Amino acid sequence: VRCQHYPPLRALQASAALRRASDEHKKEPLTSSSQQHFDSPPVGHQPEQEPQGPRHSYTGQGGQESEDYESEEQLQHRILTAALEFVPEHGWTAEAIAEGAKTLGLSVAAAGMFHSDGSELILHFVSECNTKLSELLEKEQKLVQLGEAEKKPIDEFLRHAVEARLRMLIPYIEKWPQALSILLLPRNIPSSLNLLTSMIDDIWHYAGDQSTDFNWYTRRAVLTGIYNTTELVMMQDSSPDFEDTWRFLENRVADAMTMSNTASQVQSTGEAVVQGLMGAAVTVSN
Amino acid sequence: ALLSRPAGRLRARRGLAAGPEMHFGFQTVTEEERREKIYQVFESVAKKYDVMNDSMTLGIHRVWKDILMHKMNPSPGTLLLDVAGGTGDIAFRFINYVRSIREQQLQRKLKHHQNLSWQEIFESYQKDKFNSLGDSQVVVCDINREMLKVGKQKAQHLGYSEGLSWVLGNAEELPFDNDKFDVYTIAFGIRNVTRIDLALQEAYRVLKPGGRFLCLEFSHVSNPLLSRLYDLYSFQVIPVLGEVIAGDWKSYQYLVESIRRFPPQEELKAMIEDVGFFKVDYENLNFGIVAIHSGFKL
Repeated sequence: VRCQHYPPLRALQASAALRRASDEHKKEPLTSSSQQHFDSPPVGHQPEQEPQGPRHSYTGQGGQESEDYESEEQLQHRILTAALEFVPEHGWTAEAIAEGAKTLGLSVAAAGMFHSDGSELILHFVSECNTKLSELLEKEQKLVQLGEAEKKPIDEFLRHAVEARLRMLIPYIEKWPQALSILLLPRNIPSSLNLLTSMIDDIWHYAGDQSTDFNWYTRRAVLTGIYNTTELVMMQDSSPDFEDTWRFLENRVADAMTMSNTASQVQSTGEAVVQGLMGAAVTVSN
Repeated sequence: ALLSRPAGRLRARRGLAAGPEMHFGFQTVTEEERREKIYQVFESVAKKYDVMNDSMTLGIHRVWKDILMHKMNPSPGTLLLDVAGGTGDIAFRFINYVRSIREQQLQRKLKHHQNLSWQEIFESYQKDKFNSLGDSQVVVCDINREMLKVGKQKAQHLGYSEGLSWVLGNAEELPFDNDKFDVYTIAFGIRNVTRIDLALQEAYRVLKPGGRFLCLEFSHVSNPLLSRLYDLYSFQVIPVLGEVIAGDWKSYQYLVESIRRFPPQEELKAMIEDVGFFKVDYENLNFGIVAIHSGFKL
């Protein structure tokens, strides 16, 4: 993935913190499987493996930066990823971002690049989790295609996907309610909603949903409902390894399945009833 | 009669002092002369600087400086360089802010440890008492000895002792080493710097990677109606106030003129970007009467 375009003709100054992209040898491509929906920006990746080495100064030609340089956005991603480890202690705040910047060798003032309520940090985290989920589902799909694993039935698949995604919250579970409330701020709703719908979309895609009728909407609405309610249950769950939450999830998914069966049953029953009425009406009229 | 918008310019006699022609208010002078004149302006206004600020801006300058501090949102442990910081307004605000954040931090830590015994809580107070600023420090740098003197007196008077340093220095050539400071601020000072580009370069040099540049300065009002009212106020009222309160008409005439001569928001933004700062942005306060420019050394 080529680094993004940034304003040309900077002065001939050594950029202090932006590093050559060649240092970052692993650039994860946007998951190819996400067909249309994924808007997620190129995500910071496995920071633990990246060398936190000295920054190279750019002794280049003219005032132009070469394409190898990382852009401001990528640096921001790195800072946010580094900040995640301080969230359990400081919460989703500018302080956590400042600590993250410190570990990268930057001044704490770099946290000023972000909003002081930590919105970007949370959105970044959510986006990273969604990417991880996609990768997980992609891997499993490959295994199924290669015949090395059994294809799961729909309800089990959905349960597995939602559980895997919610488990990613466990290290941050104490501060997650705070994050949820920030995601609901009017300013953040477009982005958070976008991330949520893409994730749900992704899960259905891997579940094998190829509907093109109204079912597409009902399926997504149902799964969004399941995901959100399970998330809330998880917030106040104190059972060992959150078993109560997973049981709740199992029940909701089962409900959803029965509901769809019931729906088709109701439809056929309805048709039968209508036919019966028509017959009766014809009989009476005769 | 009160001075209306000056039309003519005074041409300095060339030949003696070398150097390119620059503006001093609406006059045209050489670089050296400009530095001289500005030094004299601040030397004479130093004692009444704060009083004049309050009367000219009707006290609003305090709000502007508070907004600057909120925008900076410094965390404890920040090393701030306040250039042209003269009488210490920004420095004192910084110390207050950091102190209150530190207190909040300590409160939170204590809440976390609510199962500690009274003894342990008391001991933690002792330990952290020596760290009420959390290692934050501010260096106030100014080219003008008189302004620094007033600042030091104010500090003593208001009871600020730790975390403050007062250094005599020129913004165009700072007496500090590279990559030292977390934040660099210059509030209502960059207008008086003769070579703004040099000052910006120095700012870039002394900042740490990731460090932030913040500039609070009078800027241009684009709204035409407001602009007229502002001009009226500036040229009719302020020099008069200067004469009445500080006994110094000329300095305040200079002040108002220098504001008009200062580059507008976008131009200053471009200058800051040219020096190498990233994510450069500005925020207008009061429709552009004042603007805060911010940039990061990345």
